[in-house]
This record gives sequence, structure tokens and C-alpha cells, in this order.
Amino acid sequence: MKSAYHQTWLHNLQITKTAKHWLKHDLIGEQEFSAIKSAYVSGLYHPNFLIRILLFIAATIALGGVTGMLALFVGDSGQAVLSVLCLLYGVGSFVFLDRVFIGNLRHYKSGVNEAILYHAIGFTIGGMLGLSDFNEHLGIIVCLVVFSAAAYRYIDLVSTVCALASLAYLIFFELYQVGGIFQQIIPLVFIILFTPLYFFIRKLKESLTTDPWSPCLILLESLCLLLIYAAGNYLVVRELSVSLMDLYLEEGQDIPFAYLFYGLTVIIPVAYLYFGIKNRNVVLLRVSLLVIAFSVFTFKYYYSLGHHEITFTIGGSILVLLSLYLFRFLKSPKAGFTAENILSSKWSNLQAEAFIISQTLGGNKAQADVPSQGGGGSFSGGGSTDAF
Amino acid sequence: MRIEHLNELRDKNLITSEQYNRLEPIVMGKIVSVFFELRTLLYLGILLFTTGVGILIYENIGDIGHLLSIIALSVLTVGCGVYAVNKAAPYTPAKAKSPTPYFDYIVLLGCLLFISVLGYLQFQYSLFDDGMGATTLVTAVIFFVAAYRFDHLGVLSLAITALASFWGISVSPQKWYSGDFFETANLHNVAIVFAAALSAAAVVLDKFNVKKHFTFTYLNFCCLIFLVAALTGVFIDYSGYGWYLLILYIGCGLAVWAAHWKKSFLFLLYAFVAGYIGTTYFLTDVILDDPFVWFFYLIASCGGFIFFIIRFKNYFKREA
Repeated sequence: MKSAYHQTWLHNLQITKTAKHWLKHDLIGEQEFSAIKSAYVSGLYHPNFLIRILLFIAATIALGGVTGMLALFVGDSGQAVLSVLCLLYGVGSFVFLDRVFIGNLRHYKSGVNEAILYHAIGFTIGGMLGLSDFNEHLGIIVCLVVFSAAAYRYIDLVSTVCALASLAYLIFFELYQVGGIFQQIIPLVFIILFTPLYFFIRKLKESLTTDPWSPCLILLESLCLLLIYAAGNYLVVRELSVSLMDLYLEEGQDIPFAYLFYGLTVIIPVAYLYFGIKNRNVVLLRVSLLVIAFSVFTFKYYYSLGHHEITFTIGGSILVLLSLYLFRFLKSPKAGFTAENILSSKWSNLQAEAFIISQTLGGNKAQADVPSQGGGGSFSGGGSTDAF
Repeated sequence: MRIEHLNELRDKNLITSEQYNRLEPIVMGKIVSVFFELRTLLYLGILLFTTGVGILIYENIGDIGHLLSIIALSVLTVGCGVYAVNKAAPYTPAKAKSPTPYFDYIVLLGCLLFISVLGYLQFQYSLFDDGMGATTLVTAVIFFVAAYRFDHLGVLSLAITALASFWGISVSPQKWYSGDFFETANLHNVAIVFAAALSAAAVVLDKFNVKKHFTFTYLNFCCLIFLVAALTGVFIDYSGYGWYLLILYIGCGLAVWAAHWKKSFLFLLYAFVAGYIGTTYFLTDVILDDPFVWFFYLIASCGGFIFFIIRFKNYFKREA
């Protein structure tokens, strides 16, 4: 198993990053940290997160300039020539990234890397699509292959998400094209295929050789869980059936196997939560919180009495009371869970939290006569990205 | 980090066995912290609750249960207040440690409920004569007091946004996106003065060692307001945009200084992005009209910038 990066350096970088995290939480001292840092030397260029954003923006603009300039020269050739050129340009960008920025300059996720990578992916896929005259089957397969390769070689999270999305879409699209009964069993196929995939990824994660890819694998793990849930969710199945499969529902009618999907909407989140707690699996736990919220939304969507403000108030108070209770209950560790902040997640950041609070709560409320912030979009606040 | 790697650290004597014993259960997943999850739940609960209560109050004005709900809210607010005052460590100009993991969310809830009650009283009985302006100012003052008393960054940022909205400036990227940054004309001038004044106040407070960890929050908001306001000036005031460009550059310079001072790359990011947009606008106006020159400019400027960052990587490597 090999990624594009220098293997030992990458490993050393990960160790030092973890050690820095420990240092911040007083689990090790300044002395140990510098000892670890000098024992695990890494020559990779991996700047601070904000510098990476800055470099990404700059590299994207610069690449836009390069593309624009090239487009000025070849802009008026035909589709076939353009497609070939796009493909060459995309592959060329991959080589440039690999040889110059990773090979020579030793960049590791530096912002420039990502910019060139997405640029290369875009042109490679675009070129292939143009060559195949925008054939959908081929297009999805090309997406799947290119994204998977990029995710594997460059350990890139965005490519990982896109690769799994392409896989899911491929399955959906092929079954949908066949039609008939196959359209009906799409949710079932999803559950049957993604459940083993989930366990396979967990198996992969245990192996020591896959350690460099662990961020991607954790992401895949949570996405699989979400896909399994979505395939069984009543709202998703019903709305997709209505909008894509010309299912026409009379008043009082329901989708086929409605009770199965009602059941799954309830059972899957509960199962996630149960196994998350039982096995102390943080991924399961986080996903379960997310899907519980969506299950509540599903039932509210079809069986709402129309008083959202009452739901908000009651739901909010339940959440507040529950979390306060758990904070007190887990003051001393129980079954391996603690409410103490022993090692915070890397994206929890007090300044970011303060900014989110100022954007979503109160603030300008006194000015408005009726606060119209809906609860619908509010779940983004907790998010499970590593944006911060 | 795997257990194998942790063992390696111990075997190389890089960490003490005592540290190993503390780290081992964490690395093995024998002990899992749900601090972050519970805080998120609490945050969502407060978000839902205050939103719901806010709508409930305004929709049912005049009903019978209405008075009761106001009383209930007031009781709850007082409850949060009493809890906060009792639990809080005495005021200190340094950073105070919060007594419980959920203490700051109780303070937040109390503040938000207080504002709900206040807003309702204003709506129903017109407590303050000159309309909503005074309410916003009172809100800001209460938030500031609570933020300093209970050492709360979230409430501080609420205070800053409330103070800004008293002057008519909305500090919200969502609103900027829809073009509502300044509700009336020429407000960008107010915003520039506001941001300059507030950041000056923050620097003075910092020099007097009052809540030094608040300075970052102040400067963050001030940078955003100042730079966006200056850019707005550049864009909308065609005849006098040179002045705004000058103001923008001064702002960028100050942001770079703040980045040095507070060791944060965030201000550097703001300064570069705002400065680049301003400069590009200026150059577009003066020389860039041929698309070829345009593309060349993009490559040269951003390529040069990347080169600069990488060339001086040790300088930029400093801890954020």
C-alpha cells in the first residue's frame, strides 16, 4: 500500500501532530513534546490550517489564470480536440502535482495540493466525458475510478466523499435504468451492499498498514452508516419514489412496504445509538445523533400538528435537560464514557464556537418583530466536518 | 495514533510511564470523552428552545396563557441568573476557569431568555420610548456585563453583534451575501469608524490586562467589519474610491500587525483576501482590459503569492 507521500515522513508527521494535541491537553509536557518532535522528523510541508486556506484560494485563482490563458489559444477547436486537450491537461496536472509539488517540494495537504488535485480531477473527468459524448454510464464509472484513485493516492477527504457518492449513484442509476421491480428494490440493495462495506471498512481500519488512510476510512465508515439509514428512511424513500419513479399517491394511500420503512426509520437510529454506547464507538454515536434528529423530522413532516414553535420549545427543553443530566451523570466515568474534556476533537475551537453562537443565536433578535429563524437549517451548527 | 505507536514512544523513553498510563486508555478507546457531543446537544437544545419560545411569545400575544408563559420565562431567567452568580468564580481580569462543563451554556441561556423577556416587555409596554434602538443598546450592555462577569466568549460575540446592530451594521455573512450589510446609505463610513473605535478600545483593554483572551474576538469582528466596509466603499463610491482604497490598505496593515501580535493567521488571511480584492479592482480600472493580460495578472499575482509563502515558510510556520 503506498500513497504519493514519503511514508515515514507522513507517519512522523501524524505522530507529532498527535503529540501536539496531547501537549495542549497537558497529557504530556513541553519536554516530552520536543523530544518526540526531534525523534520523529518529517520533511513534509504541511502548514497551518489557515495558511492552507490562503494557499488554496491563491492556487485556485492562479490555475484559473492558466486555464483561461490556454483557453484563449485553443478555444475555437471542435469538441473532440477540446476533449483530448482537456484530458491531456488533466493528466498533465496530475503529473505536475505528483512530480513537482509532492515529489520535489514535499507538500502534504498544503492547499496548493488540493487546488491542483481538484483541478486535475475536473479536467480528466471532463475530458473523458467529452470523448464519450457525455454517456452517463461511462461518466459515473469514470468519476468512481478517478475519485477513488485520487482518494487512495493523495489521502484526500473530498475525493473520498465523491468516490463513495459516485458508487452510490452508480448502483442507483443502473437499477433505475433497468426499471420495473428493480426500481422497487433499490433501498433493499443499498442496505444489502453498504452493510458489508461498512464492516469491511472497519476491518480495514484495524490493520496497521492502512494507518495513513485512517481519516478517509473514518469518513467512509460514517458515510456508509448514513447511506444505510437513508435507504431505509421513510421520507427519503417516499419522496424519491414520488419524484423519480412516477409514483402517484392518492389521499390516504401509502408507498409499498410502508411499514417496513417506518420500522427502519425507528430501528436503525436506535440500533446505531445502542451499539455506539455498547461498544464505545464514537463514529456510531455521532451518526446516531444525526439520524435520530432526521427521524424526528421525518415523523414531524408527515404527522405534524402544525405548531412548530411548540415542537421547538419542547424539543429544545428535552435536549437541554437531557444533556445537563448526562453531564452530571458522567461527571465520573461510567462504562468508559466521561463528560470531562480529556482530549477534545480537533475541530472544537472556542473562538469558532463563539462565532457560531453569535451567528445563530440572539444577536439581532431585538430588532426583528418575529424571529423567523427556522429550526430546519440549525443542525449545521454541530456539523461533522473538519472545517474548523 | 495506534497502541503500537504509543508503545513505541514508551519504549524509546520519549514519554514517562506515568504519561503512558494516562494515554493508554484514551488511545485504546477504553475511555471516551463525550464532552463535545454533549456541548453540541446543549447548544442545539438552547437554539431550539429560544427560537421556539421567541415565536411562541410573539404569536400568542393577548392570550390567557400568555402572561403565565412570561412569568415562567422570567422565573427560568432568574433561575439561570442565580445559578450563574452562585457558581461563578469571583471576577478576575484574567481567564476564569468555568466551574462546570455546562456553566457557560447556562449563562448563555439566561442571557438569551432575558433578552426574550425584555423584547416582549418592550413590544407590549414600550419600556423605552424611542423604539427598538434603545432595546438593542440595553441588550448589548447586558451582554457585555455578563460576558465580563462570567468570562464568556459566546456572550461577548453576541454583545459585539448587538452593539454593531445598534449602529445599523449587521455582522452576518449570510446578510452580506444577500447584500444587506448596510441597511442605509453611507453606513460603511459608520462601520469603518465603529470598527476602528472598538478595536482601539480592545487594544487599550488588552494593555491594561483586562480579559486579554477577549481581544481576539474583538479584533476578529472589527477586522471583518472594517475590511468589508472599506471594500464596500471602494465598490460603491466611484469618484472617491482612492480614499477607500487607502483606508483598506491601512486596515490590511493593521490586520497584519494584529496577526503578528496575536499570533493568528486568521487576520493575515483577512488582510490578504481584502487587499487582493481591492488591488485587483484598482488594476482592473486602470490597466487590465485585455483578457490575456488579465489571465497573466491572475497567474503572476497568485503564483507569486504562493511562491512568497513557501519561500518564507519558516516565518509562516510559527504557532497560530
